[in-house]
Amino acid sequence: MTPVRRAFDRIDTLLGRSHGGSRYTYRTTDRQGPVSESRAADRWVRTTCGYCSVGCGILIGVRGDRAVAVQGDPDHPVNSGRLCPKGLSEHQTIHAEGRLTTPLIAGRPAMWDDALDHMVTRFRSVIEEHGPGSVAVVSTGQLVTEEFYALGKLVRVGMGLHHFDGNTTLCMSSAVSGYKLSFGADGPPGSYEDLELADVVVLWGANIADNHPLLAPRVLGGGRKVIVVDPRVTKTAMLADVHLAVKPRGDVALLNGILAVLHQEGLLRVDEARGHVDGIDELIASFAGWPPERVEAESGITAEAVRSVALAIGRAERCTIAWTMGVNHSAQGSMTVTLINTLALLTGNVGRPGAAPLSITGQCNAMGTRETGFTASMPGYRAFDDPAARTELAGLWGIDVDRLPAERGKAYPDILNAVMSKRIKALWIIGTNPIVSFPNRGTLEAALERLDLLVVQDGFANPTTALADVVLPAAVWGEKDGTYTNTERRVSRVRAAVPPPGDARSDFDIFLAVARHWGCADLFDGWTTPEDAFEEWRTVSAGRPCDYSGIDYDRIDAAGGVQWPCPEGTEVPLGGTPRLYTDLRFHHAGGRAKVYPVDSEPLREPVREEYPLLLNTGRTVEHWHTRTKTGRVAVLEALAPEAWVEINPADARALGVRSGDFVRVSSQRGSVDRIRARVTAIVRAGEVFIPFHWDEACANRLTLDQFDPISREPNYKQCAVRIERAQAR
Amino acid sequence: MTPPPTTSASVPVTLGRTKPGISAHGPELLPLDAGEQYRFGFSMNACIGCHSCEVACAEQNGLPDGTTWRRVGEIEGGTHPTTRRFHLSMSCNHCLEPACLEGCPTNAYEKLTNGIVVHHADDCIGCQYCTWNCPYSVPAFQPDRRIVTKCDMCRPRLDEGLVPACVGACPTHAITVEPFVPDDWRADHAAADAPELPSAELTLSTTRIELPADLPIETYAASDWNLRPEHPHWPLVWLTIVSQAAVGVSTTAVTDGHRAVAAALAALSLVGATLHLGRPVMAWKALRNLRRSWLSREVAALSLYAALAAAAAVSALFIVPAIVVGWCGIYASARLYIVPGRPAWNTPLTIVRFAATSAAIGAAVTDHRSIGAAAVAIALGATALNWLRLAAVDRQPWWGSVRLELRWFAPWTVLRFVLAGAAVVILLAGHPVPAALVVTMSELIGRWLFFVCVVPLNVPGAFWRHAAGSHR
Repeated sequence: MTPVRRAFDRIDTLLGRSHGGSRYTYRTTDRQGPVSESRAADRWVRTTCGYCSVGCGILIGVRGDRAVAVQGDPDHPVNSGRLCPKGLSEHQTIHAEGRLTTPLIAGRPAMWDDALDHMVTRFRSVIEEHGPGSVAVVSTGQLVTEEFYALGKLVRVGMGLHHFDGNTTLCMSSAVSGYKLSFGADGPPGSYEDLELADVVVLWGANIADNHPLLAPRVLGGGRKVIVVDPRVTKTAMLADVHLAVKPRGDVALLNGILAVLHQEGLLRVDEARGHVDGIDELIASFAGWPPERVEAESGITAEAVRSVALAIGRAERCTIAWTMGVNHSAQGSMTVTLINTLALLTGNVGRPGAAPLSITGQCNAMGTRETGFTASMPGYRAFDDPAARTELAGLWGIDVDRLPAERGKAYPDILNAVMSKRIKALWIIGTNPIVSFPNRGTLEAALERLDLLVVQDGFANPTTALADVVLPAAVWGEKDGTYTNTERRVSRVRAAVPPPGDARSDFDIFLAVARHWGCADLFDGWTTPEDAFEEWRTVSAGRPCDYSGIDYDRIDAAGGVQWPCPEGTEVPLGGTPRLYTDLRFHHAGGRAKVYPVDSEPLREPVREEYPLLLNTGRTVEHWHTRTKTGRVAVLEALAPEAWVEINPADARALGVRSGDFVRVSSQRGSVDRIRARVTAIVRAGEVFIPFHWDEACANRLTLDQFDPISREPNYKQCAVRIERAQAR
Repeated sequence: MTPPPTTSASVPVTLGRTKPGISAHGPELLPLDAGEQYRFGFSMNACIGCHSCEVACAEQNGLPDGTTWRRVGEIEGGTHPTTRRFHLSMSCNHCLEPACLEGCPTNAYEKLTNGIVVHHADDCIGCQYCTWNCPYSVPAFQPDRRIVTKCDMCRPRLDEGLVPACVGACPTHAITVEPFVPDDWRADHAAADAPELPSAELTLSTTRIELPADLPIETYAASDWNLRPEHPHWPLVWLTIVSQAAVGVSTTAVTDGHRAVAAALAALSLVGATLHLGRPVMAWKALRNLRRSWLSREVAALSLYAALAAAAAVSALFIVPAIVVGWCGIYASARLYIVPGRPAWNTPLTIVRFAATSAAIGAAVTDHRSIGAAAVAIALGATALNWLRLAAVDRQPWWGSVRLELRWFAPWTVLRFVLAGAAVVILLAGHPVPAALVVTMSELIGRWLFFVCVVPLNVPGAFWRHAAGSHR
């Protein structure tokens, strides 16, 4: 419609002659059928959703140079054409307000070369004065694998920095640590189809209906028994056959209680397991410390219920235990994960169809950075201290082995601690918004103020880019090429549908440009597209647990998505390997797995008189992380426009608070001054819940900066708070 | 403050229900056999509350922010850990006896042979009467178009043999579109009812709802906390008060001056009527449904009355016809507010109030003291009686109206009563003109409260309905 025509249309509408119907016509397209003209697409681009780790196939509908529509990819093995509300509106994120379109130095627009020169010069001068440990990088789980591979190589080899981690430490590092402790390597052993094939599915601290909606249809129906463990009566708990409303951090007690019952009933397959599992005797000895009374007191679940669930698991032909942040977001996350793995190992639920301990991970490509990144391990799950792996990797890259870092750098929270103590003076943040997402926001804000230089690379302006000295504008989902790897190790293609706006560039191009400015472009010799990085990664991953060598872009297209390991030249189905450890060969010495006794630790911050309520945090289906994207999609904002705090009716009565009232929530560390109360029995009396997505009512002003000693993952889920009625505004 | 939780243990909740799984292909549209129509189905068991249907609807129809043709409500009950929160996804129920269609003054609605209740934008004048009539608050005014819009079951898609967008998008197949036999449904439509949902009896909603077995006995809608005033509809406050004043003056007129005043008021009142419309230049279309719509009849009667009142100002010959037609207009006015979708209005007391307003203002203007005082007393008495009637019903659209009028707007309610009393005193003291002004003020406040304190019947809403800028 021309502007003149549009103006006439408006006038007609005001007079009432027209009803604006010309703006609401329908057009029929081959793929969509009759659809609003505003969404009618001329061509379609096959890609993978950029929100969570379920990894749904998506088609982006494009008209001209705009993404106007999305559809679930009917041929993708993960979602068969279905999407959640975030996916269904994902095209709107690309052209949303607030995109960064030009590099900024001290808030002023700059040329790319100037911004990168500035960044490199300043980084170099900090390093010259304070050493390579004084500059650190924090990345994300939302780049494409090719970018993660390039970034790790750039940061740890090219730039020689010591400290590099990602926001993945905030969501699934405990799963990584737990898998490594149990099986000797990272990598979720199961597949989504195991949720369908199982007789018993246990969802432990996993609210999939809100957070991984497209997994819910796989769990529902089919006659399988669904057991949900969660302190809240989540949407997922309401779909369950059995809901165990475990007390916060009662997981360790509950898992021990289940194991102890199974042992007592002779349902642990100990003799079988001795063939491939170490540590069984110490574990069994620890059960003496878990009498039913203690389990009940610590978990809040009656002995009878513990027994009933234990028997259901122990007698199941196939049991899949899936978990997410309810387990990981804990100071004992890693060890809790090992107990889940232990339960699976000792009931024979590893490596068989329908039987797996499955960590449902968080971000769309958290797996990609786990495998290729250079954070918790070297690319391909190579240990920093494994001489053979070091030699192999240096050989593959044609570099001196001494250029490889000797050890893992600081994890995310330790990087920030070092910023606080001024040992780290410059920070490069890529694709994450720690101001909203990191626990104990007050401390974080103080830390970032102490930096000499903060570089932030993102697609959108957000509270973290607002603090940056240098802003690098990046392309976002829908504007970039590469691959994502989902929870079930499935590698899917990601494609650009439209070009990035203004001067924004793909993260891949930015990394290569930084390499040129730094003078380490030789590491990326011959690379022009992400596929070049992918091809190199295939050779680097060959023979490793996460073997991509048999996967290329063509095979991904043919299969819709390919699950690693997929070694080249072997008899692997087109779609890859559905599950690990089918031969019960693990990655600890001698091909064995390990189990560990785990004792429960008390909460660091239990409730007390001054702070009498225990705060739990989590997510809601309409939003993603810190709302950098979903906060800009009107239909999602209308569905969940504000944060809220769930308060049990008994507590609300005592406080004189009713649904819709504004309250102030405070912890020892800070306060959310104005947040709407939702009085509901979804939460237990004495417990409250706040979704963490909102900068405006930021749950992380309250949360505890306590971290798992092994994984360094924050304990987001339990801290003591107080609620008062907010001042009327 | 409640003490921290003790070690009270929880019992597992065993539900045992079957849910449909996901299939490789989306749901298919079954063709209709002879005599069948399409309807929506919804399984509260299968719905996971993901809101995909709402987003798919907005995308399919390119709906602007604030316009929602499908809404997912939340129904909650029980105590932790046996709390239940069920979701109810509803769009238009494509009723067998659609109240929107019955009341529409322009016949913009049509019940198609395939069951769809379709709204024709070209015929809509934006009077919004259907938004009052529908007990599910489905039709909604779309501000950028200045007309009402609503779900048409994706009629263009159905015509192509495709299921509606919401049905196609539902990850758990909780929403379906299915053929049914209308006569069978007329005989037994119990499956159209759900907790917190207006009774299907009102309009014979065709949406088939599967309820979970473990629904708590006591439930509430998550939107219940947010009792909010309705839109004041100022042009309608004007239209009703001024037209009623005019008829009152006509009826009690003694002098030519009175008759001239009545004629002027009658003409002025109609200005309000057109300003109310989204499409004022299409106002004439409001006469299209005299057969069924009280709104059409009101427009006809009050227009004719205005003409007769003008004639009566010239010739006393027309005064009796003017009075008769004028009272017909007031009756039609009152009748159009008597709709099940708005419980606070759905009473003969509405007729009493409108008539009393007319008599009170008219008698004050023409200095009929005892009639004026009695009419004021009747107007206030009818309002108070309505409070008693509404307060006795334990459902929010009933008692909520009383709460709004007596709590939210308490100062205004008090002011209305005080002004009414003052007007009577002034009138009895022999000052008709000031009395007329004060009683008009009182009645203006009363009429404004009439509009803002009504609580419409609606589908159960989500927590954010009408809060924080959410229109859902």
